[in-house]
Amino acid sequence: MSTEPGVPTVENESLEDRLYTVKYTDSGESHLDVTIPGICAEKCVTYDCASVCPAGVWEADGDGGVPTIAYENCLECGSCRWACPHGNVEWEYPERGSGVTYKQG
Amino acid sequence: MTDDAHERTDEEMPGTRRLATPDYDGEFDAIVVGAGLAGSAAALTMAQRDLDVLVIERGSYPGAKNVFGGVLYTPTIRELADLDDAPLERYVAEKRFAMLTEDDETAVSMRPGDWHDPPHNDSYTVLRGDFDEWFAAQAAEAGATLVTETTVTGLIRDGGRIVGVETDRPDGALRAPMVVLAEGGNSLVSEGADLKRTERREHVAVGVKEVLEFPERDGVVEDRFRLDGDAGVSYHYFGTGAVGDAFGGGFVYTNDDTVSVGLAYRLSDAATAQPDPAGTLDAFKSHPAVAPLLRDARTVEYTAKTIPEGGVESVPDLVHDGALIVGDAAGLVLNNGIHLEGTNMAVESGYYAGQAVADAVSAGHVDRTALTAYPDALADSFVVRNLERYDWLMEAAREDQDLLFEELPRAVADAGAEYFRMDREPKASHASAAKQRLLEAVGGWRGVAKLALRYRKIVS
Repeated sequence: MSTEPGVPTVENESLEDRLYTVKYTDSGESHLDVTIPGICAEKCVTYDCASVCPAGVWEADGDGGVPTIAYENCLECGSCRWACPHGNVEWEYPERGSGVTYKQG
Repeated sequence: MTDDAHERTDEEMPGTRRLATPDYDGEFDAIVVGAGLAGSAAALTMAQRDLDVLVIERGSYPGAKNVFGGVLYTPTIRELADLDDAPLERYVAEKRFAMLTEDDETAVSMRPGDWHDPPHNDSYTVLRGDFDEWFAAQAAEAGATLVTETTVTGLIRDGGRIVGVETDRPDGALRAPMVVLAEGGNSLVSEGADLKRTERREHVAVGVKEVLEFPERDGVVEDRFRLDGDAGVSYHYFGTGAVGDAFGGGFVYTNDDTVSVGLAYRLSDAATAQPDPAGTLDAFKSHPAVAPLLRDARTVEYTAKTIPEGGVESVPDLVHDGALIVGDAAGLVLNNGIHLEGTNMAVESGYYAGQAVADAVSAGHVDRTALTAYPDALADSFVVRNLERYDWLMEAAREDQDLLFEELPRAVADAGAEYFRMDREPKASHASAAKQRLLEAVGGWRGVAKLALRYRKIVS
């Protein structure tokens, strides 16, 4: 009888390594922003933008203010737009072919 | 079919332009926003009807911004273009539906013999980076002009009429009598122009996917999924083992020599009960039923997208004076757990929209009423009829989420283990206990009757 475990371990690469598989062209400015910073600071306690983001773009830094926005990681799914219960996410398409370029999709 | 897989080169496709300043103002009969499946189907249809069509794609090539689960449905594409030349990965030879608890799998699998014969039930795995570029090239070869790396930022109106698009190019206004909006689910232009409302997050799903390769050896996909030649599989998973405490499901599809693995679930669940889509995907990949399929794989690409899952109620007005909305932008997705469709609906809507525009232009009319052939044709087609047929199912499944995704998979796994339990008890007592376990989960015979009544329309 085998003494090996019945299930192989899948090596899940870190999110950082996975994001590294995606080609990204930086336009030099963020295509994401918040409409009214005060809403994040005063009204938001849940940071749903950070909960739904598959790429760790939005991160609440713990001081209760506007989350940091690592737009260079953005996979352009748009989840944050719908997730924010205050409608406070500003979302534009990255311009002139910048942003993600998927090879497989 | 994959030996001569399409290689992307720096050579531009016929019709492709990368202009510093578009000089096309007023030159075209129609502008298509987005070179995905719906946009290219519309462009190809119109070009085949001798319209001058401009397709504007914001990515560096068609498909560069596009993501889907992995299965393309081709009945109408086959009518529009020669699929033999298309960059298909594998045809779907097996469908498998599996319920997952944290550590159990209970599955039903189908391998109809007919699916091995062309046209393979019109179901193929593809990679959008390859396929969308090919499909857009078909439109270009038919006469459409494609501009890439150009983002449409808004619509131009004259009075109430839409008469063109603004782009992010210098002097980037482009006028045309018709605009086909095929911008996908994250449809900023349509929303910004008040052609559709912003959907509630309960009706949008977030999807994440990885394409995995097996660097250690060749033939892994064929061996692991019991395949020969170009045959492939489509595996669907639901239950807590697939997407945790969320409404949604996971999938595994085989490509030529890679595997696509991913999941999608309701955005409102991602905000509350089941945050972190990337971590949820990690857990799914590590499930005891899934991990053996993915062993020794390496991530080639990680992708994400949102999916409009509001059903027929969420479909916006499809025609406006001078504009039409198609594909994901129009919410044309059927995702009910049994049928996961969207690519066929995108192509179908683009096809009917293209026909309607061609008819309207040749009749010399471009107002909204001249375009109603499009929503009328769509309403008579499988697209809207299927959305209507299954609208109730999404609602019912949402209401029964705990039962369908958690309690039932658990009970079925327990009942299976009980039924086949090997000990010195007679089979009759195991069968009785197994039946009891299932009945408990669904609330006894009364519960069975209620469920049967509720879901009878699946088979009727």
